[in-house]
Amino acid sequence: MGKVLELPQINLHGTAATPAEAIDEAGRILVATGAVTAEYPRYMHDREVLVSTYMGNFLAIPHGTNEGKDTVLESALSFVRYDEPIDWGGNPVRFVVGIAGKDGGHMDVLSRIALIFSDEEQVDRLLVAETPEEVLDILGDVNA
Amino acid sequence: MTTSSVLAPPPAGSSKARVGVQKFGTFVSGMVLPNIAAFIAWGLITALFIQTGWLSLFHIDPVWVQQLGGWSTDPKVVNTGLVGPIITYLLPLLIANTGGRMVYGVRGGVIAVIATMGVIVGSGIPMFLGAMIVGPGAAWIIKQVDRIWEGKIRPGFEMLVDNFSGGIVGAALAVFAFFLIAPAVTGLSNALEGVVNWLVKVHLLPLASLFVEPGKILFLNNAINHGVFTPLGLIQSQQTGKSILFLIEANPGPGVGILLAYAVFGVGLLRASAPGAILIQFVGGIHEIYFPYVLAKPILVIAAIAGGATGVLTNVLFNSGLRSPASPGSIIAVIAAAPLSSLPGVLCSVVFAAAVSFLISAAFIRGSRKRDLAAIELSGDVALSNAVAANASNKGKDSRVGDLLGTGGLSAAPAAVKVETDQPIRTIVFACDAGMGSSAMGATVVRNKLKKAGLADVTVTNQAIANLTDDVDIVITQSQLTDRAKQKAPHAQHISVDNFMASPKYDDVVAEVRASQGA
Repeated sequence: MGKVLELPQINLHGTAATPAEAIDEAGRILVATGAVTAEYPRYMHDREVLVSTYMGNFLAIPHGTNEGKDTVLESALSFVRYDEPIDWGGNPVRFVVGIAGKDGGHMDVLSRIALIFSDEEQVDRLLVAETPEEVLDILGDVNA
Repeated sequence: MTTSSVLAPPPAGSSKARVGVQKFGTFVSGMVLPNIAAFIAWGLITALFIQTGWLSLFHIDPVWVQQLGGWSTDPKVVNTGLVGPIITYLLPLLIANTGGRMVYGVRGGVIAVIATMGVIVGSGIPMFLGAMIVGPGAAWIIKQVDRIWEGKIRPGFEMLVDNFSGGIVGAALAVFAFFLIAPAVTGLSNALEGVVNWLVKVHLLPLASLFVEPGKILFLNNAINHGVFTPLGLIQSQQTGKSILFLIEANPGPGVGILLAYAVFGVGLLRASAPGAILIQFVGGIHEIYFPYVLAKPILVIAAIAGGATGVLTNVLFNSGLRSPASPGSIIAVIAAAPLSSLPGVLCSVVFAAAVSFLISAAFIRGSRKRDLAAIELSGDVALSNAVAANASNKGKDSRVGDLLGTGGLSAAPAAVKVETDQPIRTIVFACDAGMGSSAMGATVVRNKLKKAGLADVTVTNQAIANLTDDVDIVITQSQLTDRAKQKAPHAQHISVDNFMASPKYDDVVAEVRASQGA
């Protein structure tokens, strides 16, 4: 299993303007890594319909449903930052972290992201980060 | 065996009594609101299948309609129907079960239902009031009985002892309720009937509302209606072509006024569910739905009385009435049963009654608004205050019947929560749909906070709601999922959050864990 988050999976200027487009954008990145099959984004949309994946602190974490588990081949993340906040069911979202989790292998990563995003100083650093390298640096040992 | 004795002790201070009354109201509505689906089902069945129902009105009355409605005169047709048994047995038993569960879980619910059967068969009238007394009371008693030998039973015999002690206590309570509670409720109902009957005879009709409206709130409406107004009204109607008596209890005005006042000025769950209730009450004609709203704030009975009296007075002045009973008491049925000459008076009576009850309810609800909000905070009832917050943020959305049903469970939770909270908090579970993403993140954040606060001995895990079990102390979910989580873990304390990353409620959780461990 490769690293769950690598430079090509980070985009600091996403083009989506709506949650649905943002989920597509995240889904495309995940599919491109080969970690999920082309069907996975559909389950991400399903999950979003069920309950919003808005987490607070400008973060949304679209991911698939329980049902779509088979379309996940290995754990991977996507990280897209938006210049203009996306209206996520009434909440402003600047970061969309797409998640594909296989056998709980993504839990460590998710925990680290949770800790980083629950710390407002770190969120501010992510907001002004200028390069994907910088983001990886802040997310620190996400890949460890 | 009063229901209030099973509630958590109110906070110390001069407002004890008031908080007590409010808690009592919350408890009563907690017994009724989760079962409103059954009331609606009964209302639909009644509206369709009774002899004066919609189907028979349009001359669709094959034998099966008569059978379902229970009114066939053919001696060969089995004739129990759905309408009678649902209101006589099902609805009171559901209320008793919910009340019993709130006091003592599933076991309390079972004993509550057994005991309530005693009240039901002991009396000929629908036993809502009896169920509300006997249900929680029986659960409270079995809880005390269980305490006697708690921890003293040899391992392996718990099930045997539980089943037999429950069976014996349940049987005894059913007999006790049959002999004592049923006659008491029947007596109350008869007394009301007698007074109303007398008022009708001496032509003091508007005063009848003084007794009719409180009687309705105690779910004695059908008894009063069928015992007094329908028989007397039918005689009058045969003589003069109409009777005002059909409108005294069935006027939907007073109820809709109260519900409107809640919808506009209320707080929390009651406000959020009021619009749906209006539809069921005013158009559907199921008056029972607004009774819990009055029980939750008993002073509103004044609004109901004033509204009812206004309606009656209007009809007296207009000399208007209905040809036949408006059953169910829907605005549509009322209009359909009004002779053309009475229509203006009847419509005015509904509108004036609604206006008066709305104005008075609004004054009371607004007057106590701050106190209600404060009481919600004061009682430390996280689930309920969260519900209020969630409702406030949902203000834009239309409240539908579905909301009513969905939020019904919330009001049942507070009492259940209190039973468990004396013990230290050991397990906190974050639950989400798949247990894959959101819950894991929330769990991490809280785990981190607890660690920083130096609190050990608490496990924080995350799970899919489907896998949730009822042996955990606190369950944290996104607000949309809280109801589902409650079904899975009815005895846990439930907290809903909107912001998983940085909810202010996390600090409350940390404080609560600290307090519970310090105790």
